[in-house]
Amino acid sequence: MATRNRTLIFRKYRDALKSVRVPSSSSPSTSSSGGGGGGPVIELASTSLLNHNRKYTPLSTEDPGNSSKGALTVGLPPAWVDVSEEISSNVQRARMKMVELAKAHAKALMPSFGDGKEDQRMIEGLTQEITGLIRKSEKKLQRLAAAGPSEDSNIRKNVQRSLATDLQNLSIELRKKQSTYLKRLRQQKEGQDGVDLEMNLNGSRSIIDDDNLDDMVVESVNELAQIMKDLSVLVIDQGTIVDRIDYNIQNVATTVEEGLKQLQKAERTQKRGGMVMCATVLVIMCFIMLVLLVLKTIVF
Amino acid sequence: MVLVSAARDYVNRMLQDISGMKVLILDSQTVSIVSVVYSQSELLQKEVFLVELVDSISKSKESMSHLKAVYFLRPTLENIQHLRRQLANPRFGESHLFFSNMLKDTQIHILADSDEQEVVQQVQEYYADFVAIDPYHFTLNIPSNHMYMLPAVVDPPGLQQFCDRIVDGISTVFLALKRRPVIRYQRTSDIAKRIAQETSKLMYQQESGLFDFRRTEISPLLLIVDRRDDPVTPLLNQWTYQAMVHELIGIHDNKVDLSSTGKLPKDQQEVVLSSEQDAFFKANMYENFGDIGMSIKRMVDDFQQVAKSNQNIQTIEDMAKFVDSYPEYRKMHGNVSKHVTLVTEMSKIVGERRLMLISEREQDLACNGGQVAAFEAVANLLNNESVSDIDRLHLVMLYALRYEKESPVQLMQLFNKLASQSPKYKPGLVQFLLKQAGVDKRTGDLYGNRDLLNIARNMARGLKGVENVYTQHQPLLFQTMESIIKGRLRDVDYPFVGNHFQQGRPQDVVIFIVGGTTYEESRSVALQNASNSGTRFILGGSVVLNSKRFLKDLEEAQRIAKSSTNVV
Repeated sequence: MATRNRTLIFRKYRDALKSVRVPSSSSPSTSSSGGGGGGPVIELASTSLLNHNRKYTPLSTEDPGNSSKGALTVGLPPAWVDVSEEISSNVQRARMKMVELAKAHAKALMPSFGDGKEDQRMIEGLTQEITGLIRKSEKKLQRLAAAGPSEDSNIRKNVQRSLATDLQNLSIELRKKQSTYLKRLRQQKEGQDGVDLEMNLNGSRSIIDDDNLDDMVVESVNELAQIMKDLSVLVIDQGTIVDRIDYNIQNVATTVEEGLKQLQKAERTQKRGGMVMCATVLVIMCFIMLVLLVLKTIVF
Repeated sequence: MVLVSAARDYVNRMLQDISGMKVLILDSQTVSIVSVVYSQSELLQKEVFLVELVDSISKSKESMSHLKAVYFLRPTLENIQHLRRQLANPRFGESHLFFSNMLKDTQIHILADSDEQEVVQQVQEYYADFVAIDPYHFTLNIPSNHMYMLPAVVDPPGLQQFCDRIVDGISTVFLALKRRPVIRYQRTSDIAKRIAQETSKLMYQQESGLFDFRRTEISPLLLIVDRRDDPVTPLLNQWTYQAMVHELIGIHDNKVDLSSTGKLPKDQQEVVLSSEQDAFFKANMYENFGDIGMSIKRMVDDFQQVAKSNQNIQTIEDMAKFVDSYPEYRKMHGNVSKHVTLVTEMSKIVGERRLMLISEREQDLACNGGQVAAFEAVANLLNNESVSDIDRLHLVMLYALRYEKESPVQLMQLFNKLASQSPKYKPGLVQFLLKQAGVDKRTGDLYGNRDLLNIARNMARGLKGVENVYTQHQPLLFQTMESIIKGRLRDVDYPFVGNHFQQGRPQDVVIFIVGGTTYEESRSVALQNASNSGTRFILGGSVVLNSKRFLKDLEEAQRIAKSSTNVV
């Protein structure tokens, strides 16, 4: 695929025009504005790099009057970005724990001399942690929603969708890992039962374990169903019309327009407000009554 | 895959090197270009959380400097003006500018001048200036498509704009493929010649450095033909899935708008019909209506089985299985509903307009001879009350195109009958069509009755009988492709531009039809490519036609031609 980079030409023009526009008072290295050349180019290039790095400094002491370019105001990202970052870091942590869980599963399935209870506990612990993370993130996700059609709300909606998809994928993956682990565990247990001579003891233990396994399955299925129900509103179905960029742009345009119309309508009805009329009439009546009362006491 | 993957690669490259939250700003044309190859969920994965149009984004005043702006625009005058305003009052932290075609130096100058705050980090040309609706089919969605039917004197700047858009589109196809072609055009078409010459000038003279790719033994071929050489294909009713949906309902950028067809649930009012995303559609898009019915029935049966088993949850295992497979179940449900809705709607239209009867006659007119019988049949159908006005018009046009010279008296009779029965018919439209695309104007052997070989072939086909009466028509494009494969495309009919020359058979061919392509032709191309003949074809056009659009262009051209002669 062919492409062509025009950035160099663009920068050349930009710097040349810059030195024409701002006379050489602020650039110490040249005396002739027409010179352009190496000096101001290098200087301006390096300052623009600096600007870039300082984007997210909270206490930006950048004084617009100071720098030679009238720098753009470095804005703080809005508060909800923090929430979304928390959620994505949760997702990251959950992913790492999934890797650990996979290892723990593999270890527990390997034949060993010990009881395997410790492995079980670790597995349970990890699973609980991951489910907890997913739950927490999902609750935080609800806080990202915003009211009213505006560009900001669209961004928030999209961020919500993206995180919802991640969470859903995570929970499905967890469920899959769990089900394969439980299936293999059951197979192993059945195998063991056949070989073991002490049928009674093992029989009772395996019944209890089977119950445990079933409980775990039910619990995990429940959790997953709950999460999927909550998320399914947000997640985009791939291949449908909602997944089309042009459909989303149209919707944005119409909802913003609609919002504007609604606002205008609200303004109009408020102004025309029957309420305002009523209130004014009542106040006037009060005055009149007051005057009448005063007159009455004076006359009589 | 070629066109779609090239466009996707460009979009990927635009987004991958920029970290953080982004906003993607497009114009009305690049929206189509991006929407057909990239989905919203993929954008979200790349952290693009807002997509806006460049003309509407300036209305809002909020500053969002925590976002980085990625602009993907066509380098037009309006877009540069919008950019000027936005760069002067930047709302976003950084700006990365990508243009779908070549920038002029003056435009870069203007942009550099307005970038006082130095928000622009890069300016690149990423050559994706075509809408890749199918792997081997692209379109340019040109609104003023009727221009190609008008002589140059009527509206020189408009025509220049039309040609420029086409040259821009075609050249980016080759830039995306990284090849430089040998160019041939249809001799009898002035506009094809003009476009061929301008494309050649661009590729070989003006920007020869940009197009100077590694040369292979045999250059690819660019063939520019005119719609009017085959006016029959857009007028015919179609019976293969994709073509039929476009003809009866209408497909735009792989979306179908069903909102005008009665009561439908909200999520079925507009659907996506893309071979890249829908496996069922990919397998059935070129099948005929009868076979589609069977496939859909099979799909519905499969789905019902799954649904039944989902309702029958008795053990924990079943429950677990249901929850695990829920996402796929939901997707399947949506897909089944979509196709069932489409086929139901089309069946309804076929019934209302008696299309089976009419289409049989149309195919007959297009493929078989016999003037007398044809006249009788068309006259009968014109008298038939249940035939709609638009179908009457089609029939008369098809008859006129074939039997233009034989028995003009009977032709006049048909014209009069049409005019008297169809109140909305604009008089002279059929004659205008004949003037544009009559037998004298055509190069190719549309009815297979010029060349001895073709006559023999037709007779053999008549004797053998056809599999399906409704799909017996082969577009002229099919013959053109065969000639190219055999290396027998006549120089007399399709000359080379300038001093181009090609020895041997090309392996990559791009055919561009000025005036628009049809889905029947893209089907022909896809089937040809699938047959592994050693040559790969790509088809492109200024729009994708159906009979409604073709007639609209004709009417518009007729109206302008009439008013311009009045002025003169």
